Amino acid sequence: MTAYVEECRQEWKRLGVPDLLADEMATDLEADLAEAQADGISAAEILGESDPRRFAAAWARERGLVDEPPPERRHRRRWIWATVGFALALVFVVVLGLFAAVGVSVHTHVSGPGPQTLRSVVIPSFIGMKACHAREIGLESGLQVERIPSRRCDAVVVAQQPVRGTLIPLPQRRRIIVTLRLRG
Amino acid sequence: MQRMAAESRRSQMLRGVLDLCLLAVVVDEPAYGYEMTRRLRERGLSTVGEGSIYPLLGRLERDGLVATHRAASDGGPPRKYYSASPSGHRALTEGVRAWRDVRGEVDSVLATIEAEVA
Repeated sequence: MTAYVEECRQEWKRLGVPDLLADEMATDLEADLAEAQADGISAAEILGESDPRRFAAAWARERGLVDEPPPERRHRRRWIWATVGFALALVFVVVLGLFAAVGVSVHTHVSGPGPQTLRSVVIPSFIGMKACHAREIGLESGLQVERIPSRRCDAVVVAQQPVRGTLIPLPQRRRIIVTLRLRG
Repeated sequence: MQRMAAESRRSQMLRGVLDLCLLAVVVDEPAYGYEMTRRLRERGLSTVGEGSIYPLLGRLERDGLVATHRAASDGGPPRKYYSASPSGHRALTEGVRAWRDVRGEVDSVLATIEAEVA
């Protein structure tokens, strides 16, 4: 038996291929290789694979004698992490995209101060308010509020900068921009 | 480099139809493994670089597209002979039709391209 066929036998044994079938395949292969050699045909054409173990495994697998090889645990774990990473990145991009596509295009700039008697202003919370309501609150807080397009009136404030409670000293003529991000 | 690319393309194209070729050479007369390689060569198809036919034969057998029996060969040990089963005949007919359709469609796209022969 050639070394190639012998290695195939070992692989089939390792994979649990029944001896009877392994014998049959080894005998057929051995006879075919001998006949091909007599015809001057290369073993490469008959085998198509220089690695006997890979060849043997592929043959047994295709015959249904062994199960499909499970992916290596390490590879599987790597794929899991890659998938999780991709999903997180996707969520990040989607959220960013929402802010960019919806929020930024309707940035509402609330500027202050209104009455010059104010020396400071506390930024109220606008988050969760509808845009037009946020505008009213802003005005009540002594801020100047840019006009909000009526079609965006019901959009909800999902973020704001500066955050609520921020104390802004208001030197004369200083202009504070409060940026609201809207969704909807 | 170009030659490698051409071989790779040929290999990819053949892989899709090699099972049909194997069925075709045993549709009329059973053959054992190497005999099938020989018949392919006689019809002009070398399987060098296409991988072994044995895994493919294993799949055809598993899928019931070939029937097998053992019989004595000329002067050698008993061999495993393959022949197309009724399912194999049907698969071959359908496969050949699909191949001709695809070939026709691809040809009609590529017909205007003149191949340069070195």
